[in-house]
Amino acid sequence: MNENLFSSFITPTMMGLPIVILITMFPGIMFPSPSRLINNRLISIQQWLVQLTSKQMLSIHNQKGQTWALMLMSLILFIGSTNLLGLLPHSFTPTTQLSLNLGMAIPLWAGTVVTGFRYKMKASLAHFLPQGTPLPLIPMLVIIETISLFIQPMALAIRLTANITAGHLLIHLIGGATLALTSISTITAMMTFIILILLTILEFAVALIQAYVFTLLVSLYLHDNT
Amino acid sequence: MPQLDTSTWFIMILSMIITLFFMFQLKVSKYYFPENPEPKPVSMSNPITPWEKKWTKIYSPLSLPLQ
Repeated sequence: MNENLFSSFITPTMMGLPIVILITMFPGIMFPSPSRLINNRLISIQQWLVQLTSKQMLSIHNQKGQTWALMLMSLILFIGSTNLLGLLPHSFTPTTQLSLNLGMAIPLWAGTVVTGFRYKMKASLAHFLPQGTPLPLIPMLVIIETISLFIQPMALAIRLTANITAGHLLIHLIGGATLALTSISTITAMMTFIILILLTILEFAVALIQAYVFTLLVSLYLHDNT
Repeated sequence: MPQLDTSTWFIMILSMIITLFFMFQLKVSKYYFPENPEPKPVSMSNPITPWEKKWTKIYSPLSLPLQ
């Protein structure tokens, strides 16, 4: 049962060839790059959505932080499209892999911290001590703030992995339960099927929300440090 | 859990770096957002015609000495 349940999360290799590279690059096909002054409808719609998202997300940043616009926009497009494509049956979702999420979270978080250290050294070190703490509490609070700083990339990666993996597992389990119940009692199977439909709608929302949350948190860490 | 099998971690991270940092950023960097055009300030002055740039003495027939 364990082997069967987690089998969709194994990195796909076909006879030893890592086709996971092609699978990870596949969502890029959905976003054609514009080459004309007036583009077709697909590119225009995507460009409009990117403009909408970037205006909303970059409004809180100053000049220095807005240089990250390209990174944040491609991040939200990558995570959103990968999560949505993972809802198709029998597909492999790269964002369920802890390795990929760690590989995204740690360099981005480290980039924001290093930016803060380079440009606003005292202010970024001052983040370790909130204002107005009583004197005896200071050492303990510095330790706590340091720990909470270093947990940020771990939380980013594990949040995304766990949410998407849990959603996929639930869909697998409830789908299997629906299938097993059809031969026993049709009414219960109908109820389970309705639960499956609701869960799928939830997963659509979760896919988009997780992309948004990841990008928002990265931009928040950036805001603290620019 | 197959996600904790570290033998595949290198290829996953490599493919993510290729996709995220090369493909997607190349595509999004080609998006062109046209700048908002502003109306040019309209000036009412006449441009100087080429024959008025150099002063030429104009002999009006009534100002010539009587012949």
